[in-house]
Amino acid sequence: MHILLVEDDTELARQTDIWLREAGHTCSWCERGGQALMALGKEAFDAVILDVGLPDVDGFTVVEQMRARGFRLPVLFLTARDNVTDRVRGLKAGGDDYVTKPFAMEELLARLEALQRRSGITPLVPPSRNVGKWTLDAIKRRLRCGDEMVELQPREWTLLEVMLANEGRILTKKFLLEKVWDIQFDPGTNVVDAMICRLRRKIDAPGEPSHLQTVRGKGYVLQALS
Amino acid sequence: MFSKLFPEHLPSTWRLGLLLAVLMACSTALCITVAGWAMKQNLSSIARAVVLDDLGEYAVLYNRNGLKEIKDVFAAGGHENDQAVRITSSDGRVLFEQIPPAVAGYQWPDASSARLKPSETLLITVEHTQREQQLLAGCQVLDDGNILWFGRTDAEDRAYVEHIRDDLWLAGLASTAFMLLPLWWFVRHVLRPVQDMMKSTHKLAEGNTDARLVAPDAVPELQAFASAFNAGLDRIDALTTELQSANDNLAHELRTPLARIRGNLEIHHDHSENAVARDAAARGMEEIDRAADLVQTILTTRAGEHKALKLHLESIDLRELLTDLHDLYKAAADERGLQFTLEAANSRLAPLDRQRINQAVANLLDNAFAYTPHGGVVTLELSTTDDHTRILVRDTGPGLSATDLTKIWQRFTRGSAASANTPGMGLGLSLVRAIATAHGGQTGCRNRDEGGAEFWIDLPAGDLLNAQTPSSHPAPFARA
Repeated sequence: MHILLVEDDTELARQTDIWLREAGHTCSWCERGGQALMALGKEAFDAVILDVGLPDVDGFTVVEQMRARGFRLPVLFLTARDNVTDRVRGLKAGGDDYVTKPFAMEELLARLEALQRRSGITPLVPPSRNVGKWTLDAIKRRLRCGDEMVELQPREWTLLEVMLANEGRILTKKFLLEKVWDIQFDPGTNVVDAMICRLRRKIDAPGEPSHLQTVRGKGYVLQALS
Repeated sequence: MFSKLFPEHLPSTWRLGLLLAVLMACSTALCITVAGWAMKQNLSSIARAVVLDDLGEYAVLYNRNGLKEIKDVFAAGGHENDQAVRITSSDGRVLFEQIPPAVAGYQWPDASSARLKPSETLLITVEHTQREQQLLAGCQVLDDGNILWFGRTDAEDRAYVEHIRDDLWLAGLASTAFMLLPLWWFVRHVLRPVQDMMKSTHKLAEGNTDARLVAPDAVPELQAFASAFNAGLDRIDALTTELQSANDNLAHELRTPLARIRGNLEIHHDHSENAVARDAAARGMEEIDRAADLVQTILTTRAGEHKALKLHLESIDLRELLTDLHDLYKAAADERGLQFTLEAANSRLAPLDRQRINQAVANLLDNAFAYTPHGGVVTLELSTTDDHTRILVRDTGPGLSATDLTKIWQRFTRGSAASANTPGMGLGLSLVRAIATAHGGQTGCRNRDEGGAEFWIDLPAGDLLNAQTPSSHPAPFARA
């Protein structure tokens, strides 16, 4: 993917640039909203990462102007403001998703790729419908292996689906809370951890390494084939 | 002084109206009584003069020409029906009597006992046995020793007084109508502006901070009051806006450096093969995430306490919200060996900020989970009546001490049961209170008789007519 990064904080821009390149993407960086609009006219991008607090115009205005000029590419907001009102305003202005600082790089990438899949820039590769020995039965929402069957509760199923859609990527607690439970804060109780453990007990074979790994400080990752 | 005169809920228009009407009735009655009394005095002295006058005239006529003259004069006069003439001998025999029906029936007195000297006159008031009217009778001894009587009833005077009294009542009614003009003035320039102001303050109480007092037709004092009040509101609004932007800036100033540090730690983590270094970086990232949450919590609490929290209101079914939270916490409860039950019988739609209410209830659950020992019970309950909605979290933990009960909602206060191992900085409950306050609700806690603590959030029942879906109107819900 070729990505336009609009961020006035030099250090954050430098880090993001490193990550995007490591993940196999290319990136052009602008410090100001005005520059970004000009860059969009010159180059073809696949997505925009846009800081809301820019020195000249705010990110919401940049998106509105972009959309007014007919650019349809996905836009991911990056912001230091964490409230639903701003989130709604951003989405209403024409943004597609929203990441709050400080953020985990994997989360940024997961969201970017989700946007890309949605906008159909890269063809949709159907995620694997197998985890270990299990085959997913999407209609009855259960796991099957021969005659053996495991029933999943609705949230367990959603959790598995979200992790499967981002297979191999470390997903933060915050990302999972938002995608599975639609919760935008981190409860003091280890609710996600407990849920992952429960799911782990259902899908892992005893004595073998788990399909669901916890990565300290970063989050959880699903490896469908161990 | 008049406050106790009226029923408690009688509107002031009626109070003033009743007061004016009573006052006018009293003053009219007083006028009529005094005027009636004065007229009676005047009329009775006039009546005496008339009787004496006529008596004198008839006496002169009789003395000059005898009884015939009187008969002639009386017949020619076509006399009014309320006057009577009679002549009696000195021993009381009636010599002549001319009594019209209106004057009939009176018991004429016996003058012989008075022993009048010639040309002396005597005035006597005679009551009738059936009629109200009185007869004023005068007698004079004539030259020949006979006695001339002249009588006159007060029927005419009474009719006259009656007539004047009717006129006075009419005048009283008319002036009462005029006295109601101040009532109209009061309603238009005092009462109605006050009612308008009351509506505005209700709007303010409902959280519509743009509402102002307007009183274009009001008396100057009320206008001055409204403008002073509005100036105060403007000032509060300005402070709120300032606090909001200060919060936004502070969040930005703190979050951006945290993001930079986290980014570098993540790069370090991903590029280090050294397990110790990776672990250190991981711990660092965890701390930064915690710090970012802390900043957010402090700012939210501060904004909530000052009613500067931006809410994103949607029509939310609280039962659904609590069911989802119960579902989220179930696995963690199982892991801790806690029995976690949900009691929510009824749906309750209310205009709420879903994320904030979620967070507030989650904080109460976090507390209950942290303080309830293995094998305990945590209950999440939704209790609804027509005019109130209460979300309850009950636990079977150690409960609250007396100091806890008063101070537990303050910032950075941790309960006495907290230990070094219990997570948190004492911000959770102040956040709960701030979110409840921002929604126009309240929080409370108590120790249960069965042991353990109970915390609750009371939310206003909510006016669903005003709760539109945010997808169509997001902006009005971003309330200050």
